[in-house]
Amino acid sequence: MGTPNNELTSSGWAVPPLASVTGEPLLAIRDLKVHFKLAGRSKGIVKAVDGVTLDIAAGETLGLVGESGCGKSSLGRAILRLTEPTSGQVIYRGRDLARLTQKEMRQHRRQLQIIFQDPYASLNPRMTVGQIVGEPLETFKLAQGREAETRVQELLETVGLSKRFSKRFPHEFSGGQRQRIGIARALAVDPDFIVADEPISALDVSIQAQIMNLLERLQREKNLTYLFISHDLRAVRHVSDRVAVMYLGKLVEIAEAKTVYADPLMPYTRALISAVPVPDPKVEALRQRIVLEGDVPSPIDPPSGCRFHTRCPYAIQTCTEVSPPLVEIKPAHFAACIRISPDQPDIEQVAPGAAPGLDAAVAAAGQPVVA
Amino acid sequence: MGNPNVNLLEVKHLRTYFDTEDGEVKAVDGISFALKRGETLGIVGESGSGKSVTNLSIIRLIPEPPGRIVSGEVLLDGVDILKLPAAQVRRIRGRRIAMIFQDPMTSLNPFMKISRQLMEITQLHLGHNRGQAYDHAIRMLEKVGIPDARARANGYPHELSGGMRQRVMIAMALSCEPELLIADEPTTALDVTIQAQILELIKTLKQATGTSVILITHDLGVVAGMTDHLIVMYAGKVFEQAPTTHMFALPANPYTRGLLRSVPDPMAQQGELYQIPGSPPDVAHLPPGCPFAPRCYRAEEICQREFPPMVQLTAEHSSLCHFAQEVYEESKLAVAATEPLGEGVS
Repeated sequence: MGTPNNELTSSGWAVPPLASVTGEPLLAIRDLKVHFKLAGRSKGIVKAVDGVTLDIAAGETLGLVGESGCGKSSLGRAILRLTEPTSGQVIYRGRDLARLTQKEMRQHRRQLQIIFQDPYASLNPRMTVGQIVGEPLETFKLAQGREAETRVQELLETVGLSKRFSKRFPHEFSGGQRQRIGIARALAVDPDFIVADEPISALDVSIQAQIMNLLERLQREKNLTYLFISHDLRAVRHVSDRVAVMYLGKLVEIAEAKTVYADPLMPYTRALISAVPVPDPKVEALRQRIVLEGDVPSPIDPPSGCRFHTRCPYAIQTCTEVSPPLVEIKPAHFAACIRISPDQPDIEQVAPGAAPGLDAAVAAAGQPVVA
Repeated sequence: MGNPNVNLLEVKHLRTYFDTEDGEVKAVDGISFALKRGETLGIVGESGSGKSVTNLSIIRLIPEPPGRIVSGEVLLDGVDILKLPAAQVRRIRGRRIAMIFQDPMTSLNPFMKISRQLMEITQLHLGHNRGQAYDHAIRMLEKVGIPDARARANGYPHELSGGMRQRVMIAMALSCEPELLIADEPTTALDVTIQAQILELIKTLKQATGTSVILITHDLGVVAGMTDHLIVMYAGKVFEQAPTTHMFALPANPYTRGLLRSVPDPMAQQGELYQIPGSPPDVAHLPPGCPFAPRCYRAEEICQREFPPMVQLTAEHSSLCHFAQEVYEESKLAVAATEPLGEGVS
């Protein structure tokens, strides 16, 4: 067959109808791209995020998983414009964040906050905890003087810290406590949406549970929406309503959290889930692991067609030519793989060499599906 | 602790202290365990629990000062490594006991070709000449699954991915067919699909060579699938030890119980996670009684006051706790009822 239109998304199209989440999404991400030029080399471009289309519903926790270099942090940062998107849209309450001026964007950051991975690096060591948590109040002129002080103390108690801590400095705290300070700072401005970028990865096991529980409690109390980015698939499974899987800048699967883990469809997701060690020796003794060959290829020059074809045990020739779109294989369960289709969702059952999803992929060219 | 012909390694009452500005830190404080030939022992613990210091002590790599091994024995086939002259310890290190670390980049020499780094070991320990050492290096790289080993051997560490570097480290560690491989968080810096590759590799090589393994990790999922026996460390002490399946099924220490319950199980739908309150203690300032007492759901007055005894529950299962027997019975009941533990959730 000839080479079909590999680029299934193109810039400059109108926002497609929202199909997958009920009601208006809080954030509608459309064909978002983040490309970095490599320093010192004229030609190299890293396509960290390469055409992501996604809705995030109000009040949900969307887990975003993938291996290092897959673009998950770049996607999170691009939504908040901490990294400038190269193209695409981030529609929040009817406005495209990607087109706002820096000044307008700064105002919007009141609603959109971030919690960072490293609680050691993300707190200014020369500021007291009170100043750190109170700074956003000042920036957005939300409270001053005595009122601000009271608010800071409330915030500290909300995240499980003593209000007496406001005069102390970050170095006096443990990693878990610092992460709580970072969370208090994010909450200070009463945001709608929080990007939690690996919020527990730097913490001890016993502290991880505390922070996950805290984030869940805050979500219930304050009706927050989270994008929870992590390489820890067990944590993501635990906190998320839906889980999106990224591979080399593209979304490859998205569904309800329990579905992604119980019934992964796309071969990469299947391998990823099977690689997660389960804390139960009896389960581990019986498990058949799908061990992938090789490493994640470089995002500088990603493989043609399906980016996973170099490591995929099911890849056929066509996979090297056609870039698979996300297709709703089962209700509310999207996967990007031409070797499966709604009629034949189980890749193990598909006839050798067959690509039942190919027609859908070609037909969908230029009309990305919203997941 | 039994027959020296069976136990490859016996650690007895090992104490390693560090002198710091904060005073004396008892990083490892009187720990004992044994490892049989061909067996894999897991050591789990949080930061500061002393799990890495234990293993640096075994191969005498504690920086002195500020550290010092205060007392204890480390018997390798009955010979106390702690009493050997430095030159003899060097002959053991890399030859009989090899180690791999979390971050392969800091353990590989960035200025040296990969082949040279591998050749050095067998030239030193096995008396290989350059040709033999080179051939052996290539064979080892192939064995650990490095594609195009000859070309890779000619390169430098920075040209390899994290997973490939860890493979090179494993190739180096296993070059002289050591009797004991100590792997200190070998997959913590790696992605999950690469972690699966490396763990699978360690398993396969272990089966092929019969090497004993000590696997240090904070990841209970990793130890569940990899180890025969398990040690849980906290504040420089062994808190519990048992065969792995036994420890997971019937933990007899409140800390182990809490730890096992605070890890989300990806296969199960769970409500709020069990959480251990507080943080791991500052080892420089430990409370007088049980170091876990301030965080323990089970703690009573005696726990604040008196250091707990090591209670033997079965021949192979022991727990450092005033209420070890009670916690053990609780675990049995929990298994019978398969009901979640209610305490301690805030």
